[in-house]
Amino acid sequence: MTGIEQFLADKGIYFLTFFLLSLGIYGIITCKNYMKKLIGMNIMQVSAIIFFLSLGQKKGATIPVLLEGLTNSDAYNNPLTHALMLTAIVVSLGTTGVGLALLTRIKEKFGSVEEEEIIRRQDKL
Amino acid sequence: MMRKVIGILLIVLGLGYVFVSFDFLPAIGDSSAPAHKHVSDYYIENALKDTNSPNLVTAVLADYRGFDTLLETTVMFSAGVCVVMILGSKSPLRKRYLVPKEILKGKPYGGIPAYKTVNKDVMTTLIEILILLYAIYVLLHGEVGPGGGFQAGALIALAYIVNVMVAPDIKPLFKFTKINAVAAAGIGVFIYAFTGLLTMFAGGAFLEYGKLPFPIPENDLHPVGIMMIETGVAIGVMATIITILIAIIERVRFDDDRN
Amino acid sequence: MQHFPALVVILPLCGAALSLALTKIHIHLGRNVIFLSLAASFCMSIMQLRNVVLNGPMEYRFGGYALPYSIEFRIDAVGGVVVSMVALMGLITAFYCISGEVRTDKIKVGGAYSVVALFVAGMLGTASSADAFNMYVFLEITALAAYCLIALGGNRGMIAAFRYLLVGTIAATFYLMGVGILYAVTGTLNLQDMSVIIHQGGKDEAVLVALCLLIAGLGVKSALFPFHGWQPSAHTHEERGSAALIAGVMVKIPVFMLFRYIYFVFGMDYKYMKQVLIILGVFVGIGMMYGSIRAMGQTNMKKLLAYSSITQTSYFMLGIVIGAPVALAGSLLHFIGDAFIKGGLFYCAGAIKYKFGTININNFGMIYKKMPVTATLIVSGALSMIGIPPTVGFFSKWYIAIGAIQTGKYIFLVLLIISSLLNAVYFFKLIEKVFMENDKEMEDIRPVKKGELPWSMLIPMTICIAVIFLLGFFNVPLINIVLPLFEGVGL
Repeated sequence: MTGIEQFLADKGIYFLTFFLLSLGIYGIITCKNYMKKLIGMNIMQVSAIIFFLSLGQKKGATIPVLLEGLTNSDAYNNPLTHALMLTAIVVSLGTTGVGLALLTRIKEKFGSVEEEEIIRRQDKL
Repeated sequence: MMRKVIGILLIVLGLGYVFVSFDFLPAIGDSSAPAHKHVSDYYIENALKDTNSPNLVTAVLADYRGFDTLLETTVMFSAGVCVVMILGSKSPLRKRYLVPKEILKGKPYGGIPAYKTVNKDVMTTLIEILILLYAIYVLLHGEVGPGGGFQAGALIALAYIVNVMVAPDIKPLFKFTKINAVAAAGIGVFIYAFTGLLTMFAGGAFLEYGKLPFPIPENDLHPVGIMMIETGVAIGVMATIITILIAIIERVRFDDDRN
Repeated sequence: MQHFPALVVILPLCGAALSLALTKIHIHLGRNVIFLSLAASFCMSIMQLRNVVLNGPMEYRFGGYALPYSIEFRIDAVGGVVVSMVALMGLITAFYCISGEVRTDKIKVGGAYSVVALFVAGMLGTASSADAFNMYVFLEITALAAYCLIALGGNRGMIAAFRYLLVGTIAATFYLMGVGILYAVTGTLNLQDMSVIIHQGGKDEAVLVALCLLIAGLGVKSALFPFHGWQPSAHTHEERGSAALIAGVMVKIPVFMLFRYIYFVFGMDYKYMKQVLIILGVFVGIGMMYGSIRAMGQTNMKKLLAYSSITQTSYFMLGIVIGAPVALAGSLLHFIGDAFIKGGLFYCAGAIKYKFGTININNFGMIYKKMPVTATLIVSGALSMIGIPPTVGFFSKWYIAIGAIQTGKYIFLVLLIISSLLNAVYFFKLIEKVFMENDKEMEDIRPVKKGELPWSMLIPMTICIAVIFLLGFFNVPLINIVLPLFEGVGL
């Protein structure tokens, strides 16, 4: 394999996850629409999940369900990261749910989820 | 403008840094990386002996790190309570800002649906029963052996959602009011915590299933314990999803609402 | 006794879970069960602290497996003190919330206490856990409850809560990434095990990246200076009853976590620790000045306290940056004391809002006559914030200053004194407003037959006054409890 292929095979997913992380933060900072900010937040959380899952991969290994006669520990993917990420997914689900509920209220009160509109109407209330 | 510049700077700096120095992380797929050698190996080699569960993820999730899963259910429950509290006070319909779409003006019910010839009420009931059966299967036998309480709860909630969204007029298989749903979510969490307290009173540590006070061989106690907590998780997740659904339906006016 | 570390966290959790079901039976049953569970949790935390002092650190392994393979709770002297502080604050704040409850809606009563109990359980768990990922989940439970409590504070509260949700999630993701990198190079999540593996060496770069991510994440959560943007509006608009918990306790827990990571996991002999501490020291120095200067211009009492919070957070970090054992102990004393001072002052703001409907300090007139207990708490809290003996604030700053002299970091001593003087400016303004007669007569919107306030508000406030002075008088025993632990890890 050439250098770039080697890099992509070994570290490519790290690059992608950090790209997703930066993308999410960029979205949160620059978007003026609260809904889009929430989407950016979700992208960011997904990046953390992919990061952990890519840490758990082994070359040529199968899913972490025990097969008969196969006891070699290199033959199974790392079960710990999978279990951790199941928890992290639920946490991100809860955060998104609360965020959406807040947005529902904000939309009702201020009539908009655009940041400028909200700041303008905040002073009238 | 300033924000855009900051954002772009951040992204460039972050990526630039990461590009030059990925050396500190092990290569992907390298089975001799430290992440695979210390704790993970122990789980793979001893899970069957310790927990009697061939599914390693279940073994880690529900047994070795069962306390994390209690907290996971708690996160779900607290999300449900938070949504109910935030969406709790109901403002009158007129004050809400949702405006019907232009197309629907003059067509109060959104036109005649194309699927009118199919008897959707009967179909819904059939599908619901299938979904419930599948949920029970997932709970009892999710990927060899018990586990999958979360998915089972989501499936049961899905049956409810199908009922409410597709056929609101027929009598549902089961019905919840808002307070019942939140209370059920709490009870689901409590079933989980109670399993742990049970082992604690029987002399073990919290969630040490081998010490459950049931008269069965110790080897079988682990699946029983996992089954108990997964039931709690299923109830908690199902009730939370239904809670959020009810809380949202109460508030939002759909475009084809009748008044 | 050996189950106490777990029960301290799990009892409030069970209370929160059962609260709504019990509220369905009777409207006050769920609430009372939560009070009981919090009280039991507090008693256990005190007994656990006593046991730790007598017999050394306690550890609790969930599931009963051997150590790096299961989740561990580890209570040492410092953790025990922090857990007791959180439990006491949680108990009295839940008590304080009685005055604000909606008496008609069952879901609202049960749900509100449920959220408060979850909040307390989350903080207790974060303080006692010794597992990196477990801490993350507890941190998120705390954060979810906090979003809800801030959102209940009205229209602006919702905006503040949404912004905090975005920022807090960025912080949590940073923390999770940091944990991921640490896991990738050590293969374990248990903090002690991780510490042993890191001390074997050869992982300096990865640890540096992880440390930066952890500082950024936990710094945002604790409103450390450059990351404080979300904090003033969230603290100003949060719900009245639980404000003391959010402002007084929640922002401290991440600082405690950071302290544990820096001193107990990475250790002072870590290669880049000096540089990291210098950068943190710059943040802390600017933060001390910035918070005090911004607080001087505020007329809203809660906003004033929120900006002063940034200064206080910098003081705890100051002890960590100086690194001498005495300074660390002083930092811990400040940590404990400030929870009650800041909590108490937020109780006062809530009480004045409850009685008069405003917290603009220009309208405060003759409060010392109408509300003597509130005025006492404001005065003792303000004196302690400035650092006047015999309140706890003086002794904590004293120990931090001694640490600064011992290690020769005189710049921090100068900054500490200047910042305290700036504190004096705006807190004396607050005291003056409380005692001076003002032409504007505030209208009493909730007259109480007997006394100044309902008893459920008076008891927490009295406890706060008592703790502020007791910690001041009995600071030496507390320092003696924690000092041996710090001597092993400090500079």
